This record gives sequence, structure tokens and C-alpha cells, in this order.
Amino acid sequence: MKRALLPLVVLVALIAMNSCGEKTAVVESGIYQGTIYKVEPEKTEIYVELSDGRILELYFTDQTLLTKNDETVEFSVLAKGDTVEVQIEKIGKRLDPISVAIKGQHD
Amino acid sequence: MTELPNFWRTEIWHPLAVHLPLVLLIFSTLFSLLGLIIKSNMWSTVGRVFLFIGTAGAWVSIYTGKLADAIVVRGLCDPTVLEAHEHAAYWVGSLFTGASLLALLGLNGKLLKIRSVLSVVMIICMLIGSAVLVRTGHLGAQLVYQQAAGVYTPSADCNEFSE
Repeated sequence: MKRALLPLVVLVALIAMNSCGEKTAVVESGIYQGTIYKVEPEKTEIYVELSDGRILELYFTDQTLLTKNDETVEFSVLAKGDTVEVQIEKIGKRLDPISVAIKGQHD
Repeated sequence: MTELPNFWRTEIWHPLAVHLPLVLLIFSTLFSLLGLIIKSNMWSTVGRVFLFIGTAGAWVSIYTGKLADAIVVRGLCDPTVLEAHEHAAYWVGSLFTGASLLALLGLNGKLLKIRSVLSVVMIICMLIGSAVLVRTGHLGAQLVYQQAAGVYTPSADCNEFSE
């Protein structure tokens, strides 16, 4: 009977895991401040959580300017927990980051 | 002269990978349901085989989808469709993985007493999984046919095809 419970536990765990996936928001063009929620280096992608809890999914483009203290820095500098100010252009429902300025870095 | 891109580019692996598990998982649900209703071991066995192969194929599809995601998303006008497609795909993978584990457990001779309960729970997972699978496929089709995800658009004069 204990064995019978195992797949059910696995199933519930998988369902819970799926339910925890981040739901991203679409916002208007503008400047937003928030905290980096997740960094995906292989996709040069960041998720930024705004103060109201909304999460923005931003894929860097060739034109995206990433700075810290007004100096250009590499994408690898970004880390979860960093506070950033992002300038976004909304194209359709896609959010293109024009610039990302690191305002504070998480230890 | 415009050059035709290589057909075997990374984003092509996803559409090549998705169709076999899609068919197998839908038919595994139908055959397993049929096996349960008419109490036929043959249909249940075929359903289980389709389920195992289809579930493995579903995770391969998710993997190839992740590879395609990074390439096509920057060209989409509505990436929220891609996000919904991805979420739905994980549900499909999870539900059919749960069903596969229940099917494996049902093969255990020590659990004869609860085999029928396991079969019913398995079928419920598969029916929900199939419904989500249809939704996932529909979202994938929207990405291709409404947003041209991963699709090469030939030049106006088709000169890349002239030799």
C-alpha cells in the first residue's frame, strides 16, 4: 500500500511544481524599477519582479544597454536579488528592454 | 542574393519531436479507456506501451521546445502565447508521467487488490492530460500560423530558390 502512495505523491509534487511557475505580466512602454527574480544566462533573459508583485520577462536584444554606475557591464554581472531600473519598449505584447541599469547588487 | 537557411536548425527539432508523442498519448488514453471498459488486456497493454513511449517523447518535446524558445521568442509579437504553451506542456508531461507510474505500479502482482483503483486514477490523469495536450497543440499551432514562430519567410522574388 505504501508503494501505491508513491506515484500519487510524485503526481501531486509535479502538479505543485507546475503551479509554482512564474506568471509574467505585459506592461506599457516606460521605465520600471524592480528586483531580479531569476536570470537565465543561456537565453540572456531576466525576470524582474516589480514592487506590486508583477513579474516582467525580458529577453535582451542586441540593442539592450546594461549599465552599473553609468558604465557598461557584461550580462554575467546580473544576479538574482539585484535591484534594477529597466526602460522597456512594448512591441505587440513583447517587452524589449532598451536599457537595464543595476541600482544595487545582492550579496 | 538571399541565402536559404539550413533546414536542420535548432528550432526545427521541436516540431519534428512533438507529433509522435502527441498521437501516442491520445491513442494511449483511448486504448486504456477501451481496455478498462471492455476489460480487455490486449487494449490495456497496447495503451500502456503507447503511454510509456509517448511520455518519454513528451519530455523530449519539452526539451527541444526549450531549445527553440530562446531562438524564436525574440521575433514573436505575443510571447505570452509561448509562455502558456510551455506551461501547458509541463502539465502534459507531469500528468502522463503520473499515469505512467500508476501503470507501472499496476503491473506489480502484490497490488492486485487496488489494481482497479490505480487504473481509474491513471485513466483520469490521462483524460485530463489529453485535454491539456489538445490545448498545448492548439497554442503551438497559434505560434506557428499566427506568429510564424521558427518559420523562414522567403524573399519576395524567391531568388534563394533559383539554384
